[in-house]
Amino acid sequence: MNTYVCRYCRQPSDPTQPTCPLCGAPVDIRSSVSDSGWVKQPPIKDMARLQFGQSHCQIAGTTVPVAEFNLAPNDWIYFSHHTLLWAEPATRLANMPMRGAWSRTMAGMPLMMLEARGPGHIALSDNHAGEVVALPLHHGQQMWVREHRFLTATGNIGYSWHPTDVWYQTGDGDDRETHYPMGQFGDVFAAHEGPGLLLLHSPGNTFIRDLQQGQSLLIQPSALLYRDVSVRAHLHLEYPRNMGFAFWSNRWSYRSIFLRLIGPGRVAVQSVYSPAEDTEMIQQHSYATRHHW
Amino acid sequence: MIQCRWCQAQNPPGTTSCQTCGAPLDERDKVSDSGWREAPRLRDMVEFRFSDSTCQVEGELVPVAEVNLHPRDGLYFEHHVLLWKDESVPLSSLNTGGGMKRSVGGMPHMVTVANGPGRIAFSRDAPGELVVLPLHPGMELDVREHAFLVASHSVQYSFVRIKGLVNLLHGGSGMYMDRFITSGQPGILLLHGNGNVLERTLQPREKILVEPGGFLYKDSSVQMQAQQMPLKTGLMRHGMYLAEMTGPGRVGIQSMYVHHHSE
Repeated sequence: MNTYVCRYCRQPSDPTQPTCPLCGAPVDIRSSVSDSGWVKQPPIKDMARLQFGQSHCQIAGTTVPVAEFNLAPNDWIYFSHHTLLWAEPATRLANMPMRGAWSRTMAGMPLMMLEARGPGHIALSDNHAGEVVALPLHHGQQMWVREHRFLTATGNIGYSWHPTDVWYQTGDGDDRETHYPMGQFGDVFAAHEGPGLLLLHSPGNTFIRDLQQGQSLLIQPSALLYRDVSVRAHLHLEYPRNMGFAFWSNRWSYRSIFLRLIGPGRVAVQSVYSPAEDTEMIQQHSYATRHHW
Repeated sequence: MIQCRWCQAQNPPGTTSCQTCGAPLDERDKVSDSGWREAPRLRDMVEFRFSDSTCQVEGELVPVAEVNLHPRDGLYFEHHVLLWKDESVPLSSLNTGGGMKRSVGGMPHMVTVANGPGRIAFSRDAPGELVVLPLHPGMELDVREHAFLVASHSVQYSFVRIKGLVNLLHGGSGMYMDRFITSGQPGILLLHGNGNVLERTLQPREKILVEPGGFLYKDSSVQMQAQQMPLKTGLMRHGMYLAEMTGPGRVGIQSMYVHHHSE
């Protein structure tokens, strides 16, 4: 009886292969764990294959990796149109019908969800240096993913999106502005119909951590890549002690904005993030804990 | 002799990198199941020769091409990719025939010529790979605008404006394609591909659809045309266009796109 469980995708796997056939993580290397407990997600080896259904995916390249799919008949994937790199003419592309008003934008440009059906080849890549992170989902598993990190998913994985409920407002009157430090929406992927494969693109490097029940972490909000839906998240504000050097500043504007994550469950962070650029006093915010130093 | 699988040059026994293009000779090619071959990853500090000069590639994230130019050799480049040079290396402008019509990032598009002797170095400004393309006499290569890093003086340079591919290749109001031609002499062309670079050789009449931002280079024998897909994108429900490539010949793609506003 095979009792080997891949430490990265948490699925029963094959230890005799050089890479996990489900997530592509190397099997033959030691786990890299920092002193504080963060596990470095090893990049998928160049040309590694991932199997799903009768199809497979091959990851090519290491700087901006390409996910190349060989889709069997009746297998299909969906993806945001901006990630398409190339396709064979035989691969059938179509707009994916979306419930409600799926109106998402990135850098002001609207995104459309497309589906690709086999038989045929198609390749997808993101537009940032980083890593492809493969998340095989077992039947019933759900995963929350930061917006714009989704690369593609197999057709049997359900997709929905929800407000993150992590926000704060600055300014008064007409200058009031709402900020969403980890994005206004989050994507939720659910394998209700059976096991499936979810691919993300993580800018920079990726680190994972499994939180115990009630265990709490503070991270840069825009660095969160994905989390188990069992992990709760809310805002945390910290106000550093003013040592007298910033006497001209409003003490309420010198603050650090964190995301508090509370276990149980797995969380993943990416090493590339977008720090908050504003320094205005926070007028209102979603539920937050706070600390004044 | 060891034949380089990238440029087909012959190398003495025992060499670990090709003396003509720098490609590793002691590594297997990485070719995906669908036939896309990764451009050879040049090792840090690898050296190769062209004409009487040498080029050394430094760095792996945003690589630098450092050239030690022989007095009889020259090369040309888009002026903004120059990283550093010896003070003694003379610079002049190349008459590209386009006048001041072409611009990049709001600045006039200028191609500069450097002549030996002396050292000069080049790099672009995004993570990626250097692709070394030795050109035999009688070759013709098309390269997307702002991807060419440097070319030797024996390679003729021109560019064509591609209309009708306005939003296709993200060129704003228009898009240029650089064309490199060798006649009686060989030459060398260095490209910078953003992200990772893959190449595929298309058979006669074989087609592949490429996202326009991913197109990097092609043999001139490969035909490229806009293909409107039956897909709707955007609030105005505009169609989505892909670039249809028809063989025979090589097609090179990059996995990341960096937009340079050009007119």
